[in-house]
Amino acid sequence: MATQVIRCPKCKTTITVTGSPGEHISITCPNCGEKGFYVFPEPQAREMIPGSAAITVRNLSKCYKTFKAVDDISFSVRKGEIFGFLGPNGAGKTTTIKAILDLIHADRGEITINGINVRAQGKKAREFVGYMPEQVAFYDNLTALQNLRFYAEIKHASKDECERLIELIGLGDAGKKKVGAFSKGMVQRLGMARAMLSNPPIMILDEPSGGLDPRGVVLVRDIILDLKKKGVSIFISSHILSEIQEICDRVGIINKGKLVAQDTVDNLGRKLNLKPQIIVTLDKVTTAIEKAVQAIPNVDQVHTAGNTLEIVCDAKTKAAVILAISNAGGNIVNLQMKEPSLEAVFMRFTEA
Amino acid sequence: MTMRRDTVISIAKKEIMDNIRNKWIILVSIMFAGLTLVVSYFGSITSHGWQNLGLTIAGMTSFATYLISIIGFMLGYASIIGEIERGSMSALLSLAATRFEIVVGKFLGLGAVLCFTVLVGFGFAGIVIGVNVSNVDYLQFLAFIGMTMIFGLVFLSVALCFSTVFSKRSTALGGTIFLWFLFVIILPIVFAGLLVSTVGLTNLTAGNIPEWYYVITLFNPIDVYSSLISITIRPVSTSISGVVPYPAWYSPGLLLGVLFVWIVVFFVLAAWRFNRKDV
Repeated sequence: MATQVIRCPKCKTTITVTGSPGEHISITCPNCGEKGFYVFPEPQAREMIPGSAAITVRNLSKCYKTFKAVDDISFSVRKGEIFGFLGPNGAGKTTTIKAILDLIHADRGEITINGINVRAQGKKAREFVGYMPEQVAFYDNLTALQNLRFYAEIKHASKDECERLIELIGLGDAGKKKVGAFSKGMVQRLGMARAMLSNPPIMILDEPSGGLDPRGVVLVRDIILDLKKKGVSIFISSHILSEIQEICDRVGIINKGKLVAQDTVDNLGRKLNLKPQIIVTLDKVTTAIEKAVQAIPNVDQVHTAGNTLEIVCDAKTKAAVILAISNAGGNIVNLQMKEPSLEAVFMRFTEA
Repeated sequence: MTMRRDTVISIAKKEIMDNIRNKWIILVSIMFAGLTLVVSYFGSITSHGWQNLGLTIAGMTSFATYLISIIGFMLGYASIIGEIERGSMSALLSLAATRFEIVVGKFLGLGAVLCFTVLVGFGFAGIVIGVNVSNVDYLQFLAFIGMTMIFGLVFLSVALCFSTVFSKRSTALGGTIFLWFLFVIILPIVFAGLLVSTVGLTNLTAGNIPEWYYVITLFNPIDVYSSLISITIRPVSTSISGVVPYPAWYSPGLLLGVLFVWIVVFFVLAAWRFNRKDV
């Protein structure tokens, strides 16, 4: 038995219905007396294949005339993980995503979604995926709800789900407005709702926070984390590195069409021998203090910004730094440790 | 090639909903009705007032060739490339719709919009004329509407194909504009020039048109449609039968068949090309 919350089409009163998949339930609205029936959706045959990765890409290459957009890249997205896909503009991120979805024809390589070969069984493979493109677009003459219902029909999702998703992404009041009148941020939110139709076990998100206001960014991040909790595998491309570092289990970095790194951010930092940063706020920074810190062995870099010293060194040197500042007459107000940032990793892997 | 009927119907329904609110489509429907009424009321040199439907059709055929071809092109030229450029096509394909289902759905949906436009425009005028004129042959008028719809679908199919061939909406528009001039102006001039230069004006005025001329006109859907109306619709065929002696094989069945070939060939080309296109 399943329970579904629906709304009376006449007075919008919320009604809870209990039944089995495929069952027709007669309903009378307790508020206005409107009669109707509800059909419980049949379960979709979208079980994940045990043992297979969510997405695998092997030796993928794609050329546009003489330009190599993607050059022999291989990676996989494990089930239930958030995999961040990073790279400078024009590095080949969107080309890779489009190849995964079989929107473009790869010159070479093999791609599977949930163990299903995308080239051979594209339609079946895409049934497992919710996709939010970088350039989110809808039909301007239709309302948000009409747009979503159209996509729901194609994906065999229930129409009630459209209303639930519109509420979830914070567009409840705008559901009956034409999309042509929407701001970029609203279109972006609606794009997220479309990707979530029929609860896909794999999500591919290309710049999901682009064009969103801070509230929208937080909403999308919370949705992504919530999806992860539900076991959804997420492949996300974004330019907001702090966000990627916060939510991703692993990252892949693509530069000039080649995958230059893939691992956790910490492991990548270790591979590059990146050191953490000690940020010390003093009541006053003097030349004597700066010189004392610079003289410590294993201190790579010292940067002064007002009353703050940003010192790049390994963690073991922290005590020596505090001692040197104290001996040079400095009065420490605050001290923080910052692990190697994804930004530093990204910059190192993508430098010319 | 597998195809889910419900997916095709959903795409066709969306095309109808999206286009029926298009102000150009509404405007063209009104133009059809208005022009038909004007042609019927002012169309005859010999008499004043409402003309019967047959004579109205005779007057409307040339208008229809221009307007219907434009509507077909207008509806179809951006149907695929427009969605690719805007970004909505990638989302549609990612939702497990196949490319073939999309092409079929779009053709059916846009075709329905085109047929609806013709039906509303000509139908409304037909009712007004029917009220004002006695002895109306509605069957002939319905046949005219049906043939006009098929003619419109030819141009829709060609435009759909262009929409998959070009990589930009603007070049697809340029291509369809060129094609419109080719069919409406260039080809008729070229065909007429060929005829005059090979047969001679004296022979032509005597009604001696060689059969090869009829063969080459089959390559221009506008000529095919005009000939079909001329042969099929009684008042039109009666008025021109003394001037244009069509060969026996140049039958309505053949002409209709040729229009269907145009539709099918360009539709298949569109589906084939879209299947190979990067989105």
